[in-house]
Amino acid sequence: MAYDVWDGDEADAGRLVPWYVLVNGRTTPKASDLDLATQVYALPVDTRRLEPEFLEIVRQCANWMSIAEIGAYLHLPLTIVKVMVDVLLEQGYLGVGTPAQEKIVDKRLLEMVLAGLQRELDVRD
Amino acid sequence: MAVDRRSVKIVVAGGFGAGKTTLVGSVSEIPPLTTEELLTQASVGIDDVTGVESKTQTTVALDFGRITISPNVVLYLFGTPGQDRFWFMWDELAQGAVGAIVLLDTRRLESSFPAIDYFERREIPFVAAVNQFNGTCAYTEEEIRSALELNADVPLVWCDARDRASSKLALIGLVRHAMSRLPVSA
Repeated sequence: MAYDVWDGDEADAGRLVPWYVLVNGRTTPKASDLDLATQVYALPVDTRRLEPEFLEIVRQCANWMSIAEIGAYLHLPLTIVKVMVDVLLEQGYLGVGTPAQEKIVDKRLLEMVLAGLQRELDVRD
Repeated sequence: MAVDRRSVKIVVAGGFGAGKTTLVGSVSEIPPLTTEELLTQASVGIDDVTGVESKTQTTVALDFGRITISPNVVLYLFGTPGQDRFWFMWDELAQGAVGAIVLLDTRRLESSFPAIDYFERREIPFVAAVNQFNGTCAYTEEEIRSALELNADVPLVWCDARDRASSKLALIGLVRHAMSRLPVSA
């Protein structure tokens, strides 16, 4: 990531770099199907040029991780996570799963969910 | 670069104190997490900040949990934000979701009206789940149905949100209901 770090006097909850600088002023993800349940994972690429805030996200995604989980673990608002993940996807640091935001008309998927819920009941209860 | 990794969402709604977070916690494989969203401009004028003028940014907290269904599919359960007025969050939660569980607290049935109304209007499959955390419910299914003006095709289930098996049966009821509403060709 080649953004210049600006350590201005922005008192954004004690942050040195305001969020809008980090994400280059982007306010909504370009990939509009990024949903809070969309899962991403870290691709095996060189992350040395990443800003620490972005690096934190990539590190969090060693295993598949949803946008909501990233937000919860890193204490970041969802909007910020979405935009940052969007940047990381665009630059090839993260891979993305099938978006959850497609309308569910997928019978096989529902059957799978049903079987999964029932199986768990049998095993553990 | 899209990979075959699917997320499935179920929304857990209901009035304040109906047991949404309890249900999410009892079925989730991880301790429930909380994520936050900043309140947007859309709420200006709706959000009553009289007396707290210095507060310029409000956050909406969202509790959620997860259940791994298969190596490729993870089910996320999202509790709706405590205040019903954060509709902009509901839209994101509900879009593409399997459906919703509307938890009912029989002492305050009216608190579940907004949730029922929301899912009915958008034709999102939902089940009404009577949370029996106070022992047995004093009302019959018929009484509850008529008080809520529930459509006959909306399943009404009884559950104890603190109990994993019981909560999971409510989830199973919802998935079955969602499947029954699929177009025949799908």
